Amino acid sequence: MTPQGPPRAVPMAKPLTGRAPLWLRWKTMARVAWGMMFHQKLKLAGTLFGVVFATLLANQQLGTFLGLLYKNQMYVKNAGADVWITAPSVQQLPPGRTISDAALLTARAMPDVEWADGVLIGAATMQLPSGGSEPVTLVGVNATRLKGGPWNIVAGDAGAIAQPDTIIVEDAEREKLGGLNLGSRRELNGHRVTVGGITWGLLPFGPSYAFADYEFARRLLRTDRDQMSAVLIGVKPGADPQAVAAQLKAALPDVFVRTGPEFEESIVNYVLRQTAIGITFGTSTVFALIVGFVIVSLSMLSSVVDNLREFGTLKAIGTTNWDLTKLLFVQSMTYAVIGSVIGLGLVTRVAGGIRSPKLAMLLPPQLVFGSIVVMCVLCVLASSLALLRIRKLEPAMVFR
Amino acid sequence: MSHSLAIDARGVTKTYGDGDLAQLVLKGCDLTVPAGEFMMLVGPSGSGKTTLLSILGCVLRSSDGHVHLFGERISGVRESELPRLRLAYIGFIFQGHNLIASLTAEENVAFQLQMRGWSPGDASREARRLLDRVQLGGKYKRLPAELSGGERQRVAICRAVAGNPPIILADEPTASLDATNGQLVTELLRELAREQGHTVVCVTHDNRIFSLADRIVRIEDGQILGEGAGSHAA
Repeated sequence: MTPQGPPRAVPMAKPLTGRAPLWLRWKTMARVAWGMMFHQKLKLAGTLFGVVFATLLANQQLGTFLGLLYKNQMYVKNAGADVWITAPSVQQLPPGRTISDAALLTARAMPDVEWADGVLIGAATMQLPSGGSEPVTLVGVNATRLKGGPWNIVAGDAGAIAQPDTIIVEDAEREKLGGLNLGSRRELNGHRVTVGGITWGLLPFGPSYAFADYEFARRLLRTDRDQMSAVLIGVKPGADPQAVAAQLKAALPDVFVRTGPEFEESIVNYVLRQTAIGITFGTSTVFALIVGFVIVSLSMLSSVVDNLREFGTLKAIGTTNWDLTKLLFVQSMTYAVIGSVIGLGLVTRVAGGIRSPKLAMLLPPQLVFGSIVVMCVLCVLASSLALLRIRKLEPAMVFR
Repeated sequence: MSHSLAIDARGVTKTYGDGDLAQLVLKGCDLTVPAGEFMMLVGPSGSGKTTLLSILGCVLRSSDGHVHLFGERISGVRESELPRLRLAYIGFIFQGHNLIASLTAEENVAFQLQMRGWSPGDASREARRLLDRVQLGGKYKRLPAELSGGERQRVAICRAVAGNPPIILADEPTASLDATNGQLVTELLRELAREQGHTVVCVTHDNRIFSLADRIVRIEDGQILGEGAGSHAA
């Protein structure tokens, strides 16, 4: 059956050879992707809710965890020491055991050591005017050099601890300690002390820090004269703390010698491995991500199922599976970026609202950018179900 | 095989399912369509006309037989090659217009042009020209939901002819339209096909538009039964 066609006055249309280059296909599919997303506003809101929820909860959990971690590392981070010497097996502060002052003398004899001071850290009890008592973490430091604290002074002067029987206390605990002010007098471990300064935010995971002159603290803590909690060391300008630590390790085989960053890392490892904090916060973070993943995944799948005819049409009129993969990729990245930015905005407001020395949520830039990256990966993975459905879609369905 | 033939289908067979459940839908159909012809494929429901159209449109593979479009064999090519063939040869018009609901009339047409390699600016200008041609000049930015059924089908015609593909396959293009709009849309399709030199295969059982065909081919029970000249046959 081969009839002759009717005569034509115009040239016949010829097979087309043009095909969109890669960048144009991306652009075209992105336009369709955004069009579809913003056309179904309820579905858009539902999917974004999943991303926002996951970002908010994950960052709230991780931010609180980092805040707690910071509380554990706070002293090491702010002590100003390049190298630390502690008793063996000490993984965090306060150290349970003391070391001999031989370590201090050895450190001071090292050529690359600029300064070395002993520090005492121990539990003390403050008597309250009401008759009760409250624990504090008493820190004894060299009152001349003031390495090892105090810092963040908001009232009085750090040098005040050089005065006899004077301590510096934490602002967040003033009420708890019976309404302390500059000049207040209390009994600490059986000794009369005077408040000579107030810090802000020096509230570790345990009782708040109270600072005193080293000798005074030694008497309050009833520590032997030749014993100390740790030795803080500052190296000379240009000297390598790692090299100094290595020399000290060789000279002092019976104690722990670490650089500041190594000690901070040791504390992180301790918290993660020896306590349930890491598992608790880690689990809730993972759950937040799983919930977000499920919401995004089901929303995107539902969006594809609701628009099967449109996807079938797109396939029929020449888009490839790869083109539709681009479409889903653009959608998932858009969900991830918009959702995580909204979620981060909310969590930042929450963090600002609850910020106090007692509960600090830390949101470092790494966590913020990491969240966006994680959400992008999560949303792209969540689009796989939708992609599988699209790949299986026969373009011939548009004729049914 | 002459390239003046837009479509050359020989012994096209299509079976759905396997074994006892196998259903033979097309039984060795032979069909040739010269370039530039406006042909209507007619037959009752379930006769296999849409299946044949799907095979000619490279959206469905035949179980047996050969199909050539302008001399290029399309049966037996890899699955991944089919989208390229569809872009190169085919413009589709579907029964339910099948426009993308989230794209405006202009964007629906421009999308097809961009997939065929037109730059966004040129695609937009050409889309507007085509929409002007079908009297939708003031409705570039309307979403499909904001257009009437006849207007949507006119946009679908613009999308089908956008970029000037040599073959237009239309599946019951008047099914969802009233008699007046059905006639108008088919006439419009015919005019555009004439102007731009498209070959048109239009599946329909709407006898009100038979008169617009150059040739009418009847299909029944999966077999081509015969043909007749439409009123527009030369």
